[in-house]
Amino acid sequence: MDTVTLTIDGRQVTVEKGKSVLEAAIAHGVDVPYYCYHPGLGVDGSCRVCIVKIEKMGKLQTACSTTCTEGMVVTTASPEVVAARASVFEFLLANHPLDCPVCDKGGECPLQDFSYTFGPERSRMEFPRREFDGAGVKADVDFGPTLLLNRNRCILCTRCVRFMRDVEGDAQIGITDRGYGSEISTFEEQGVISLLSGNLMDVCPVGAITTRDYRFRSRPWDNAQAVDTICTLCEKGCNTTAWLKAKPEWAKGARLVRMTPRLNPDVNGYWMCDIGRFDYHWVEGDRRVLQPHIRRGTSNDAAPWADALVAVKDAVDAAGGPASTFFYVSAHASLEELYVLRQIAAGAGGLTLAWRYREKPQPANTKFRIPSVDAPNVRGARDLGFDVGDPGQPADLSRMKAAVDAGQVKVLYVMDSGPDGSIGDVDWILAARQAGKIQTLIVHAVLHTALAEAADILLPASAFVEKDATYTNMDGRVQAASRVIPPPGDAVEDWQILVKLGVVFGSNLSFASSAAIREAIARDFASVPGYAGIPSLAFSRPVPAKTWLQGSNPSERWKWDFMFQDLPPVKFGEDFGPLPRADVIPLKEVK
Amino acid sequence: MSFHPAMDYGRGRHQSARALPEEGEPFVYTAENRATLDGILAHYPPDRRKSAVIAALYLVQRQQGHVTRQAMRHVAEVIGCTPEEVEEVVSFYTMFYTRPVGRRVIQVCRTLSCALMGAERVTEALTETLGVRPGETDAAGEFTLVEVECLGACDRAPVIGVDDHWHECQRPEDVRALIDGLRTKGAAALTGCHLRVAGDTE
Ligand code: SF4
Ligand code: SF4
Ligand code: FES
Ligand code: FES
Repeated sequence: MDTVTLTIDGRQVTVEKGKSVLEAAIAHGVDVPYYCYHPGLGVDGSCRVCIVKIEKMGKLQTACSTTCTEGMVVTTASPEVVAARASVFEFLLANHPLDCPVCDKGGECPLQDFSYTFGPERSRMEFPRREFDGAGVKADVDFGPTLLLNRNRCILCTRCVRFMRDVEGDAQIGITDRGYGSEISTFEEQGVISLLSGNLMDVCPVGAITTRDYRFRSRPWDNAQAVDTICTLCEKGCNTTAWLKAKPEWAKGARLVRMTPRLNPDVNGYWMCDIGRFDYHWVEGDRRVLQPHIRRGTSNDAAPWADALVAVKDAVDAAGGPASTFFYVSAHASLEELYVLRQIAAGAGGLTLAWRYREKPQPANTKFRIPSVDAPNVRGARDLGFDVGDPGQPADLSRMKAAVDAGQVKVLYVMDSGPDGSIGDVDWILAARQAGKIQTLIVHAVLHTALAEAADILLPASAFVEKDATYTNMDGRVQAASRVIPPPGDAVEDWQILVKLGVVFGSNLSFASSAAIREAIARDFASVPGYAGIPSLAFSRPVPAKTWLQGSNPSERWKWDFMFQDLPPVKFGEDFGPLPRADVIPLKEVK
Repeated sequence: MSFHPAMDYGRGRHQSARALPEEGEPFVYTAENRATLDGILAHYPPDRRKSAVIAALYLVQRQQGHVTRQAMRHVAEVIGCTPEEVEEVVSFYTMFYTRPVGRRVIQVCRTLSCALMGAERVTEALTETLGVRPGETDAAGEFTLVEVECLGACDRAPVIGVDDHWHECQRPEDVRALIDGLRTKGAAALTGCHLRVAGDTE
């Protein structure tokens, strides 16, 4: 790596050749404010707040657009810089409404933080602010199906414009008019129609772009805990952070308040898609399966786990043993679950993996392509020796369908721990069941889907944020998704259900934790790249947001230090529940 | 709420302080204009064709006088960019019109040098003479008056542009004579640009 050494505020710093002065400053903890620069979007040089003094250069320079050279001497806090920077802030705030108390960004807003730190004490601007509100016109408007735009707050940094042009690949946002009249707009005011739209809220350095999903739902200081995890809604495996809202005990509603992307240059960069970002409400929604259910005649009642396991055993026995039991498994199953399944299904009639295949409507030249396979672990299944066909293709159900048609499938065990529909088409199962081709339908699911409703035995499972599990993404990268919240009701982690089922199917598995399964995977599949290290994968626990933020993306990190500097000690962290032990399901009664 | 791609991404509209450009009639270039544009586009590498946006928009204006949303869509398609990118350019430059204009467009510079030399008085005089405010067209459809930014001849302020021609050192008291001259002699009534190089057609 070629490097250059320069001096910033009297400190010698060495950076990679080609880096800008701003990047050098950020990397070495020197406070230089910036708005139009974003590490994922590159340099625009339009906001001017990053100005610094560079020796031998006549005027102040924008740090973001000046490349470091050997021996450069940079000053970021001389009186000249301080005064010039303060007047840039004065202009930035000339039209900004300062409605921070009702602004979603308040508390994590670079405009607030930087203005407090670098801005002038008071503004000399005495004329009225430019306001969009007026006769028949609103400042705060729809900005497509997922977003809202408050044009009063916009500081015209063009990050959103550049995100759409450079990352999304469809320049839907632009700046119309010019100078004082400039405003962010879309053609014919139709708003942003994009599967990456949520990222615009992240890139917008002020509260101008907010999402409908998160608006007015929480404040940054209420999201006191954060957990690093992995999105499992498709095979890309974006690195994400789940934010938990601190709530008094009596407060109703969800704790999971938002998902944000977490930098991983090899997987998702700075971004995530709207599906992963917004499609989490089902986890704490009303449709969760909370207890096992057993259908007897016309009644379909909740039952304790032990009864449900006995019912499974009876059904399998009645069908003449495991050989006429078939497994139909969503590729939402983690490596641990698949590993256990492989053993218990060894004596079964067959096992087929299924997933939904949907091509996502995206521009041809997008930089962030969302895969068509809506399941996180198809590659992992292949690595563990399951037959899943060619990579990136729809699931092949022909063998399972043929077996059902031929009447071989007496008991069908469906494992579906992803959101509704992610297992793909199940209508054919419902139809076969109607036609009497399947005697007993056992569904292991998280949601009361149509399939779950039709089940003879329904087992409550855990969603991806409720268990520690590992998945292999489309590129063969093994990643750990962490337990963020405990499973609701009587639901338990999926691997536990499967270990119990092992008893029914006559394979005596003695795993006492998911970690033990990972040890076994590492042993058996040491030759698959990355698998030998599975036991050492780190799972995150909910951490105080402050800790999280300090360990996060370095280019945004120091701004978070401001956010939490006066925060009283975080007072909760009580009830995430102990991690499950193997004997959560009483097994004794299973004969 | 579900945010699956299958969901109906209904196109809710936001309202703006600006008036949207006219929708207009369906637009395609005439064969002749299209040929001209293709000639211009050939100057650019295939992935940079959108650099020709200004030329493309001038051709639209030559063809139908102003730029409608239909025309923006067509331009975007031809040069390979989004309609929003075309609209950004149209709204930025004062020489593109989004509403019908008169046969002649009188552009008064209002930027610093001209403003110091009394451009506002010139605009007022024009408003009085023509009976229209900046941005409006007279009843006969003859003149449209607009204020624009620097026309690049600051040392001869105040500067007026009429269609593609300059007129320099305009004094408010001579506005009547200018209008009469334009009516009788057309562009010949204008001073032209003192910077003109011999042989240049302004
Ligand atoms: S809406 Fe936000 S991201 Fe877009 S230009 Fe305005 S401040 Fe920047
Ligand atoms: S691209 Fe896939 S993994 Fe990434 S956020 Fe979207 S659904 Fe989740
Ligand atoms: S960050 Fe350097 S000019 Fe905006
Ligand atoms: S200021 Fe009027 S022509 Fe330059």
